[in-house]
Amino acid sequence: MPTNPSPRNPYQPTPMRVLRAYYESTDRSLKTLELSFENHADSQAFFKKFNPGQFCQLSVFGKGESPLGVASAAWEGDFVRFTIQRMGSVTKALHDLKPGDPLGMRGPLGNGFPLADWKGKNLVIIGGGCAFSTLYALTKHVQHPQNRPDFGQLVVIYGARSSGLCMYKHDIQSWYQRDDMEVHQAIDVPEETWDHHVGYVPDVVKQIAPSPDNAVAIVCGPPIMTKFTLPALVSLGFPPETIFTSLEKRMKCGIGKCGRCNIGSKYICKDGPVFSLAELNALPADI
Amino acid sequence: MKYILPKHELNALLERWSAEYAVLAPQKAGAYSEFLPFTAPSELCLEEPHNTRYPPKALFFPQSEAILKYKQNLGQLESIEAVPQKRVIFGIRPCDAKAVTLLDTVFAEGDNQDPFWLARRAETLLIGLGCNEPGATCFCTSTESGPFHTDGLDALLTDLGGEYLIELLSERAVGLFGGLTPANPTQQESVQNLQQAAEQALPKAFELDGLKDKLDRVFDQDVWAQLSESCLGCGICTFLCPTCFCFDLVDEAQRDTRVRNWDTCMFRVYSLEASAHNPRPTRKERTRQRLMHKYSYWWEHAGKLGCTGCGRCVRYCPVGLDIRAMLRKASAYESEALHAN
Repeated sequence: MPTNPSPRNPYQPTPMRVLRAYYESTDRSLKTLELSFENHADSQAFFKKFNPGQFCQLSVFGKGESPLGVASAAWEGDFVRFTIQRMGSVTKALHDLKPGDPLGMRGPLGNGFPLADWKGKNLVIIGGGCAFSTLYALTKHVQHPQNRPDFGQLVVIYGARSSGLCMYKHDIQSWYQRDDMEVHQAIDVPEETWDHHVGYVPDVVKQIAPSPDNAVAIVCGPPIMTKFTLPALVSLGFPPETIFTSLEKRMKCGIGKCGRCNIGSKYICKDGPVFSLAELNALPADI
Repeated sequence: MKYILPKHELNALLERWSAEYAVLAPQKAGAYSEFLPFTAPSELCLEEPHNTRYPPKALFFPQSEAILKYKQNLGQLESIEAVPQKRVIFGIRPCDAKAVTLLDTVFAEGDNQDPFWLARRAETLLIGLGCNEPGATCFCTSTESGPFHTDGLDALLTDLGGEYLIELLSERAVGLFGGLTPANPTQQESVQNLQQAAEQALPKAFELDGLKDKLDRVFDQDVWAQLSESCLGCGICTFLCPTCFCFDLVDEAQRDTRVRNWDTCMFRVYSLEASAHNPRPTRKERTRQRLMHKYSYWWEHAGKLGCTGCGRCVRYCPVGLDIRAMLRKASAYESEALHAN
């Protein structure tokens, strides 16, 4: 018989406000929102828990909630960044928000990347499409001078369908000047002004052939990319325990109650969204 | 300690409780019975050989419930407080009481406990009524429950014809009943015989031992297509199920309210993603999810079976799908097809 006195309502969002809003892609399908906290205490509580790879439920009141990966690192400032692909009514409403507009946020939710386990490892970060957003947060986290010594080599492979869909362009362009990391960008089909890789991410990964020695690989992308990238890494010699991916499913509560996002007995919202390939292999094929 | 309550004194007892508690009991509701605020003894449905159609989980986890108020344009939020209410739920069957304890593992344990569930649980007493003659759709003895099991109950009543024998199971129940005559040895013995007879009257619906492993092994097999062939996807098995807890969160824009509604894994849109990808595109995957959740996944996340054998999904399925037969078939498929070579 539970006797716990009334806990906080876990479905109650934190009040937030749009700080900055800008399109990320030339076709305007991707928009980045940077949100500030209305209350300082909420900000402190958020950053106490926050880890790259986690997500939040963003609320547009009257429309509903949508789960979105956090695209910023804690050191970047007192705000939380999301890059949102316009898909349905909530994401459309999020795209319509302007600086100063109020909205709600619940989170951070989920486990995030197991950074403590990755200490001293080389990181191979592989992203495709807008799923790169949480990997951007991870890369930003690792790049901070205080965090950088915790990790070995840093390789980022990021693919998009076209150059117009490439996110965080200016920042990623500046990564080529850094001597502490390697950047590879790819688009699916050739474009006149594109002087990076051309091809699908799994093929680019095979071509670059990152070393599995003392390394972990983190893969986030559309299901089709993930499906072919995971075996490519295995054939490069990455053991399943060193390959990580972040899963998505339709979600509502985000806290393991509403039952929606299960794969077998695991809930993506609560036990994930980050799983190793070894963990995924032990789960039923229900994704 | 066991006590005796003559049936003609029940009304006075329920009325006495009503002064302090909201008393809910199975009462007539159209063609069925449902847990409703106690009105009159003539409305009680305690003699039915089966449980209510509408599951009493709704008394703790309503079908539709406001969880947040907001002001759309201002972005202002107003939390909805969960207010505990002193209640007695009288006449709940052991399968349904056990189901409430199973739902505790979802809403009342671990991180992010649900305040709405907790508030309703905290000051509610569950007074059970055992099943002398379990119905044809009942299979509690196959699911680690039974017609006189006491999980989740504060007291259990056994119908002895002219009186009830009452087993008090919690301190709170002692205060609730108080001043009863102890049962004599003859009465105690007849209850024991009656309870045994009821247990034995229920045939074994399927072999629970090893069932989880068998289901896990047939996860990607065709048997699910066979089992779901006649399913209409109406979802009534899950809405009436006392352990199904899936819900949806929806903004009711005209009322500036965020609402939690029961949902069902038997619907296509339940798992449909924004990209149009659906991990459970047909009734085959959805039927598999319903059965595997109760008979496999629940073991893993709570160490318990997620079904209490109440039989509602069997009784009310519009095409007569029977979870007992489905489990037997899946089990037989595993034994025959997978071990054929």
